[in-house]
Amino acid sequence: MDFSLTEEQEMFRGHIRKMLDKFGGTQIAREMIDDNPQSLKKVYTTLAELGCSGINIPEEYGGMDLEALDLVPTFEEMGRSLVPGLFMETSALAVPTLKKYATEEQKQHNLPAIASGEKWISFAALEPFNDFSPAGIHCTLVQQDGQYVLNGTKTLVPEAELADAFLVLVRTNEEDQEDGLSLVLIDQTEDMKIEKQSSFDESKHVSKVEFQNFIIEENQIIGELDKGWTQLQEGLLYFNAALSSYIVGAMEQVVQMANEYAKIREQFGQAIGRFQAIKHSIVNMKVNLEIARSLSHYANWVVDTDESDREATVYSARTYATEKFIEVSAHNIQIHGGIGFTEEIDCHLYVKRARYYDQYVGSTPFYQEKVVASLGW
Amino acid sequence: MDFSFTKKEEKFRTELRTWLEANLPEGWLEGKRDLPEDLDEYSRVLRAWQHTLYEGGWAAIAWPKEYGGRGASLMEEIIYHQEMVRVKAPPLINYIGIHMVGPTLIDIGTDEQKERYLKKILTGEEIWCQGYSEPGAGSDLTGLKTRAVKDGDHWLINGQKVWTSFGHVADKCFLLTRTSTHPEKKHRGITVFMMDMHQPGVETLPIVQMDGHSEFNEVYMTDAVATDADIVGQVDSGWHVLIALMLHERTGIGAELFTLEKQFNDTVELAQQYKVNGKPLIENPAIRQKLASFYARVRGSLLNYYKNLTTTIKNGQPGAETSIDKLVVTELNQALSAFAVEIQGHQGVLVDKDAVADPKWQHLFLASFGQTIGGGTSEVQRNTIGERVLGLPKDMGR
Repeated sequence: MDFSLTEEQEMFRGHIRKMLDKFGGTQIAREMIDDNPQSLKKVYTTLAELGCSGINIPEEYGGMDLEALDLVPTFEEMGRSLVPGLFMETSALAVPTLKKYATEEQKQHNLPAIASGEKWISFAALEPFNDFSPAGIHCTLVQQDGQYVLNGTKTLVPEAELADAFLVLVRTNEEDQEDGLSLVLIDQTEDMKIEKQSSFDESKHVSKVEFQNFIIEENQIIGELDKGWTQLQEGLLYFNAALSSYIVGAMEQVVQMANEYAKIREQFGQAIGRFQAIKHSIVNMKVNLEIARSLSHYANWVVDTDESDREATVYSARTYATEKFIEVSAHNIQIHGGIGFTEEIDCHLYVKRARYYDQYVGSTPFYQEKVVASLGW
Repeated sequence: MDFSFTKKEEKFRTELRTWLEANLPEGWLEGKRDLPEDLDEYSRVLRAWQHTLYEGGWAAIAWPKEYGGRGASLMEEIIYHQEMVRVKAPPLINYIGIHMVGPTLIDIGTDEQKERYLKKILTGEEIWCQGYSEPGAGSDLTGLKTRAVKDGDHWLINGQKVWTSFGHVADKCFLLTRTSTHPEKKHRGITVFMMDMHQPGVETLPIVQMDGHSEFNEVYMTDAVATDADIVGQVDSGWHVLIALMLHERTGIGAELFTLEKQFNDTVELAQQYKVNGKPLIENPAIRQKLASFYARVRGSLLNYYKNLTTTIKNGQPGAETSIDKLVVTELNQALSAFAVEIQGHQGVLVDKDAVADPKWQHLFLASFGQTIGGGTSEVQRNTIGERVLGLPKDMGR
């Protein structure tokens, strides 16, 4: 038994961290608050140059043909700096889905471009006033004269203005709730109506995307028609494992912030970290971080296997991480005191991102039900 | 990343499994696992089990072969714990002798001491207890007041110990005493004696716990006697002995985690069987969510233990991170047993023969309060993690 990342994986982490530190860490996210995606675009380019965007793409499509676990250092480091953008949606949702279900033509059209960092894919699932479930999907894709016509509105679509393409969940059959959905991949075009939405996590842009009689070719449908929800579940396993890693990275930074501050900030002539009330609070944060890290490392290993606890552990990693991220980022503000409540210090960025990811592509109860169901209870 | 066991490890598991199936007490595998209420009878049955383990060569697998062990690797120890939990093996009455005193003697004992004690630890002929805590010295052992004074060619010991596990059945005590006073450094001047529990001047009084059981004792010593040959290490160097001893406790938390995992599975079974308003509890979404949350915590704790174990194997010794495992397993055990009682509704207060489900839940719930205290309280664990893992300044007063 060896439950650890390899030396190579840790070395790779070092490169990514150095690179992101050069960009100023959370500075990339802060520039997005000011609607300035320049740093983010440069980070994307650098990540691609380092090979990150091709890690889990087969060699024949220009990738390194490695596994989900090899993406962990990248995701953790991006999480530390709260790097926004579409890396996760592209590498951990679109890529596994395409690898498994796409036609050869679709793979040729997408995978090499993703590997080289030229194509970033957003995910459009949610619809206004609906939840993330088959019953919440009403955007319709209807066949007309050998073509398909898409109508409907998607909400909370991440980084729509930076996306080169969208993976869209649509309804293709009204009769069957679950087996009536399909996945389509749409390259960004001029005639898509994108409207930016206001969110309290301003470093993560979200938009409403409207499709009005939008024409789609048959070869844009990924996998089998009407089986989109089932196919999506496979992609979601990879995505949730990745998301848990991203959150672990963010939590690590939060614990480090709290820890460093408690060592330098003095009250009553003592470093506040000497007081048990503060010390124990940081220890609880650290314990939550380590459990989340162990769950997420295992989750990223288990997705590429056929172990029986595959689903249960991936969704456990996701729910544990999202819940604890909210908790530790809140404690971080408390430990920082007044300064923790300001815009100047990073604390608030992490609280907002924790909320953003808590309900993203499925809620905690949604995934908890999946844990229980997958165990046959 | 590799979660598989080697062929050698799998062989070890099969060998142990086969042996257990043939040698567990009669009826044990079939679920007849009631240990006698009567103390003498309880002690006799468990000593017999210890002797059976010894005869099979399974009493102290981590000890070197020359002392009657198997020189087992850490992974083999893990497998050993997993298998013991799987068959719900009887408790090890000489836990302290096997896991603490024996390895410490092998490490720093004299040849005479090894000759005199080791085999009797293995066979269960001599049961050991630890004399650490005192009414004024719990987490802070430097406060201990039990004194040993040299009187001619022997030592006279006077004082009181408390929370002495297995004290009521023990033959020998691994006893911490104060032998000199160094006001500047309180942890100096402590000496460890191997004291005979059956001599005049040693009185053991069981403490009745909140769960009605008596696993701990008060031990009173009035002019109890020991000799130089009973000293472990050197006079006044007991602190080093203690540290050496703690390093031998390599995989004990693992055993607790495997037990916790089993208890979690039993909780799921309870929720499947227990009905509210005619429906099994497990169909209730709130219960399902809570079970999913526990599943994440139990899996996470176990995986975190494996992660720390990997570090231990790579570094050759455990790091301070292992305190996280102790903290997590005891607090989780408390939360889980409370949940198992809670979901039984008002009937959850019924115990023993009146319990509506397996009465072990009520017992585990009450016993769980001792776990977050014994072996270093949760607060002490948090201080350790804060100071040794996170590098925060030492607690006030130290």
